[in-house]
Amino acid sequence: MAIVRGIVQIEPQVGLPDAGICSEDGLEVRRSATVATRTDTAASRERFLRLTFAGAGTLTVGAVLAAGAPRGGLSGTSQARDVEILNYALVLEELTMAFYGRAVSGGALSGELLEFAGVAAAHEREHVELLRDALGPNARRSPRFAFGNAITNQARFARTASELEELAVAAYNGQAANLSKPALQAAARIVSVDARHAAWIRAIRNRPPASQAVDLPKTRRQVLQQLDSTGFVRG
Amino acid sequence: MHLDLDQLDRDAALRETAAGVPRETRKDFLLGTLAGGGAALAALVLAEPGKAASRTDVEILNYALTLEYLQAAFYTEAERRNALRTKLARQTTRVLGAVERAHVRALRDALGSAAVKRPFFDFGGVTEDEDAFIRTAVAFEDLGTAAYKGQAYRIDSPALLAAAISIHSVEARHAAWIRYLAGAPPASSALDEPKSMGEVRELVASTGFIVERPRTGSRAEPRFTG
Amino acid sequence: MVGAAVAVIGRGAEVPVAGVSHSLAAGLPERDPLGPPPRSGLAIPRPRLLTSGAAEITLWAPVRRAVAVHEAPSARADVTAHVPASTPERTTNIVVIAGSTRGERELWVPIRTRAATGWVPRDALGGYEAVETRLLVDTAAFTATLLRANRVVFRARIGVGTAAAPTPTGSFYVRNRLTRYRSAFYGPVSFGTSARSGLTDWPAGGFVGIHGTSRPEILPGRVSHGCIRMRNADILALARLMPVGTPVEIT
Repeated sequence: MAIVRGIVQIEPQVGLPDAGICSEDGLEVRRSATVATRTDTAASRERFLRLTFAGAGTLTVGAVLAAGAPRGGLSGTSQARDVEILNYALVLEELTMAFYGRAVSGGALSGELLEFAGVAAAHEREHVELLRDALGPNARRSPRFAFGNAITNQARFARTASELEELAVAAYNGQAANLSKPALQAAARIVSVDARHAAWIRAIRNRPPASQAVDLPKTRRQVLQQLDSTGFVRG
Repeated sequence: MHLDLDQLDRDAALRETAAGVPRETRKDFLLGTLAGGGAALAALVLAEPGKAASRTDVEILNYALTLEYLQAAFYTEAERRNALRTKLARQTTRVLGAVERAHVRALRDALGSAAVKRPFFDFGGVTEDEDAFIRTAVAFEDLGTAAYKGQAYRIDSPALLAAAISIHSVEARHAAWIRYLAGAPPASSALDEPKSMGEVRELVASTGFIVERPRTGSRAEPRFTG
Repeated sequence: MVGAAVAVIGRGAEVPVAGVSHSLAAGLPERDPLGPPPRSGLAIPRPRLLTSGAAEITLWAPVRRAVAVHEAPSARADVTAHVPASTPERTTNIVVIAGSTRGERELWVPIRTRAATGWVPRDALGGYEAVETRLLVDTAAFTATLLRANRVVFRARIGVGTAAAPTPTGSFYVRNRLTRYRSAFYGPVSFGTSARSGLTDWPAGGFVGIHGTSRPEILPGRVSHGCIRMRNADILALARLMPVGTPVEIT
């Protein structure tokens, strides 16, 4: 007798990403291939629409225009808001990318923490690339970071990683209603993975990976104040 | 991984102190880790006051409700059938079931008489075999996350969008959690992709888990002994 | 002192980094143009663990195909009963689950049978449904009491079987619900149970029902051929509270 009936396929297992060429952060950081000068509205609108996913259900340019002005619209002001929010998100992603990258290359991590940091570092790198690509010339410069023993002490690393991932989830959730539809689609693909990271590191630390029915949002001020309190951002 | 019970209690205590809620009894240590998250604060607003929810929003909420019914029934049955071997799987199932049931209640309350009825489910033994259960739970949580992602941008009401987004990240956590339990990568790619309503409906239909209600009613003349 | 500091650092305490940190929040205007998130459009209640213990919840399942009931969870074990796929009223037959499923590659489910517990293959049954209700029938006191989650939610006076055709005692369950039939003898609603009367040669198997009556004046008392009868107003009230699958304990 067949026990299993009609089980949905799950994704095949994916191994750890390649290390790539090491830069200062221990990661290869690809700059956007297109060095863009100040562009016109249509081109930057295109960039935002490239944020959407490919495949079934793609929010194509045609679909967006045919549907009329979506919530947030494609007017200049909502685009400016998208830029502001995505730049804010970029700080978080640059921070975690650097944090994980330096922790991996620092050599102090082992076992599950090392595995986690390696995978998370590669993910944050892609998040940074996605955001920088979408922002184009509007992308803010990378901040400078210093992490102290948060990357050399395993216990502190684990605690800090958890705090940063929780903060990222709260930050994105706090801005969801402010984003245009294409930017929201991109942000959702990112926060989903950050939420996985958050659960993962909690599991590694023997805590319940999800103890609430909802993930509460935080305002930008709350998030930035919490970042300030870490002392990691140097300029 | 094992769930450190002392940690569960301590986290709960900290959260409850912040919320000013009375401390749960020791017996409910798992429950103590579960917080409503703003239930006391959020009023039940479906849209702007005085405005009915849009048809799109009602459709999306009912779609989400069906998926939450499915997940809630799946975990609840696994817990009731008591067939999971490992303590960790059992604890995880209790917590996940509690959260999905809370999601069901929230969506039903918001929809009121517009809510779709709970379907009948036949999980065909999957909830009674730990390996099959874990694999299916992984699929369900990944699917739930993709489903919310597929609809979020379509939601008209900002209030509902905020709610959906805050549930979406919980589903992603669940996905990572159950993958960790299964020994699978909690996050196998840098970006999670959405799935459309059509894709999700097709996948759910392919499981065969949603079935017709068993026919236990009749208009036949009774022929009991009397 | 140094030793203490080393111990603290060893547990992962923060070591402040040299240099000046930069404030991100300081750059924000007094009123952030990025507004706060809207209040959630859903009120999400606090998640609750399942409170009902095994004593309060009964699981039932529809029968997908006629099947033999075995004494033990194995096709090689003795057959003790047969379960048909339909009831005499031509509704889908259902069974009440008696415990945890057993087996590795083949799953076996314990079900309640007249004698004791028997085992059927999992694939002979459909999906599980849970009920929180229990009906207690006291043939000496002539009462039927419905409990939900162990709390009394309904009670009525009943007629039961005569000495010649007594209502059987034991553990049974509600199998189906009949409505909109013609016969006033059974009242507006009837429930079929898995209980069989002692009467032999009864057409349709001699199953005991719970139903209304066209003769309420003879209740309570030993008046029937085994069925449990109640006033029509009572059976209607019961019908609003008692789902199919509800276990029935008759004493």
